[in-house]
Amino acid sequence: MNVTINEEGSKALVTLEGRLDTTNADQFQKDITPLMTGSHQEIDVDCTGMEYTSSQGLRMFLMLQKTVSARGAKLVLKNMKPQVKEVFDITGFSHIITIV
Amino acid sequence: MSIKTKFSSRLSLYIVGFSALLLIAVMLLYGMFARSAIQNEAQENTEKVLDNTILEIEKVITEVERAVDNVDWLVMRNLGDEKFLYEITREVVLANPNIIGSAIAFEPGYYKGKPYFAPYTFTNAETGTTRSFQMGSEQYDYPVLDWYQIPKLLDRPYWSEPYFDEGGGFQRMSTYSMPLRDAEGRFVGVITADISLEWLSHKVATLKPYEHSYTMLIGRNGTYIAHPDSSKVLNETIFSGQMISMDEQAIAQARDMLSGGRNFISYKYQGQGRFTLYGPLSNGWCLAMMCFYSDLYKVLSIMNWIMLSILILGMTVLFLGSRRIIRYETKPIEDFSRAALSIAGGDFQTHIPEVKTEDELRDLRDSLSFMVRSINDYMERLKSTTAAKERYESELGIARDIQMSLLPTDFPQIEGLQLCALVHPAREVGGDLYDFHINDNTLYFAVGDVSGKGVPASLFMAITRAALRFVGAMGMNMADVMSRVNDTLCDGNDAELFVTLFIARLNLETGEMTYCNAGHNPIVLLPPDGKAEFLHARPNLAAGLFPGFPYQEESITITPGTSLCLYTDGVTEAERDDKRQYGEERLLEWMSSQPGDRSSAALVASLLESLTAFTEGAEQNDDITIMTIRWK
Repeated sequence: MNVTINEEGSKALVTLEGRLDTTNADQFQKDITPLMTGSHQEIDVDCTGMEYTSSQGLRMFLMLQKTVSARGAKLVLKNMKPQVKEVFDITGFSHIITIV
Repeated sequence: MSIKTKFSSRLSLYIVGFSALLLIAVMLLYGMFARSAIQNEAQENTEKVLDNTILEIEKVITEVERAVDNVDWLVMRNLGDEKFLYEITREVVLANPNIIGSAIAFEPGYYKGKPYFAPYTFTNAETGTTRSFQMGSEQYDYPVLDWYQIPKLLDRPYWSEPYFDEGGGFQRMSTYSMPLRDAEGRFVGVITADISLEWLSHKVATLKPYEHSYTMLIGRNGTYIAHPDSSKVLNETIFSGQMISMDEQAIAQARDMLSGGRNFISYKYQGQGRFTLYGPLSNGWCLAMMCFYSDLYKVLSIMNWIMLSILILGMTVLFLGSRRIIRYETKPIEDFSRAALSIAGGDFQTHIPEVKTEDELRDLRDSLSFMVRSINDYMERLKSTTAAKERYESELGIARDIQMSLLPTDFPQIEGLQLCALVHPAREVGGDLYDFHINDNTLYFAVGDVSGKGVPASLFMAITRAALRFVGAMGMNMADVMSRVNDTLCDGNDAELFVTLFIARLNLETGEMTYCNAGHNPIVLLPPDGKAEFLHARPNLAAGLFPGFPYQEESITITPGTSLCLYTDGVTEAERDDKRQYGEERLLEWMSSQPGDRSSAALVASLLESLTAFTEGAEQNDDITIMTIRWK
């Protein structure tokens, strides 16, 4: 899983590429720490290159969502592949995370 | 041992080889300098010998000339006294050991009635007797001979070319002649002195500065006057001889010899390095010394052989010595090797040989001993780690047993209902769960999947299962059950874990099924007509995330003979090495291909088989749960 974070003022542009599964979930958690501890008001995540997410990956998005909401900021996941979107839909995560 | 022998031998060979190359280079250089020094010395030496010899011969020649000059006046004063003339010749011969003969030869007819008059005294070298006689005759017409005619014509003293005298001496000689003139200046004859060429030959033959060198005396026209090969004397000239090959340079050299030159020539002839030194005598003769370089180098060559022998001997000693020293010096390595082998064999108490020197061997010894200490420490750590690991494993084994016992296996085998289920955790313990029970002709069942794997997931699974049992016993509808379970799970869920859960209630009389889905994978229905499909269920939200989430339930009535398949994402997301997943499509296909009357246990076995066939032995990376139900 490749995580690229570009900052534009208070906005963070994140690009995700590859698979997010149990083998790299811990690394992913480290990679997105700047987003959790930072003060970005808007976080745009481009999921074009994201191939798969496991339930542990969902947990990471959930944690990110909760931290971001706690500081009153906005998290948006964009351009998600259908098979990845399906996981978010099945588990009901689409209800709590903004996916456009 | 053999390796070490090779090492020391090899190293010694390198040393010996290098030293030998160095010494050979030194020897070659030495040889070059020595040759050049020997050549220079030889030149000096032969020059000296030549000068001395020339001086000696000159001395004789001078003596002879003086002896003749001294009696000149005596002859002129006593021309009339024939007897006295004999006395004079006799006196000349006896007074000078170098003079073998002396004559006073007069012009024919100078004495009235005497066509020839030449008193002559001669010493026979063999008998030692001295005889005086008159030698002129018709047979010995001396006025035409060189020794008489040339001084007469030149009007000055003259050394004749060597000749064989047939008139008086009967041997090879050279004659010094001085013209005699009377008071009026008329030529009356010559007074002569002969010197023996045998004497000169002997003198020259003994002149051998080197073993094979030889000396020659050459006359004015190139005739050999003295030569080690006496047959050449008077018979050959340097131009006819084999002395040097007659190329232009050699001819020039020969001419230089005859014209009174002096030179040192180094050349090669018939494959032999030679040098010739020649110098003139005052009477126009030339003394030449022929020497061979091989004579000079003989000592050098012997020296070379001696040095070579010493070299070979020295190199052998050096080889043996250095091999022994290297063996001795590298002995600790052998000991280390043995110690290392023993350590490798598991004996960590092996004593590593002490090294007293402060060098690389000491470093090696210290490193080796450090390595042993490190290995010892590591082994200790490994032991305790292994013990801890064994403890964890044993605890995990117990945890697994506990977890597995949480999953009921008393599958109902009653009229109109079959149920079979299993969980295959990816590790010892997992986060998947299923549960069921029958109460009041109603089947309650559930399948769940906790996010993540391993111990954390297994704990959350146990909590979920407990909550499910506790809340389920309250007899509420499915949505309420889910909501209560969700609230329970959210309480104190700091680890942000969640569980997808499908719970349902099936009326075993009517086939009415009420269910509530908390973000779980859609379950598969296989109606009796044989076309498998996913059960429509709103996803709601996985449990444990947001307390108070409004879960909603749905209902469906299934036809008798319908089979249900519940599963976790370990099934649909089962991967093989090329990362392709089993997927929902394949699941539907598999379910559709099942015969309608297949038992639930057979369905579980068949799905597992299908999964195994798909993954081709790839490692299972998520918990797998399957539950199949067949109603009526």
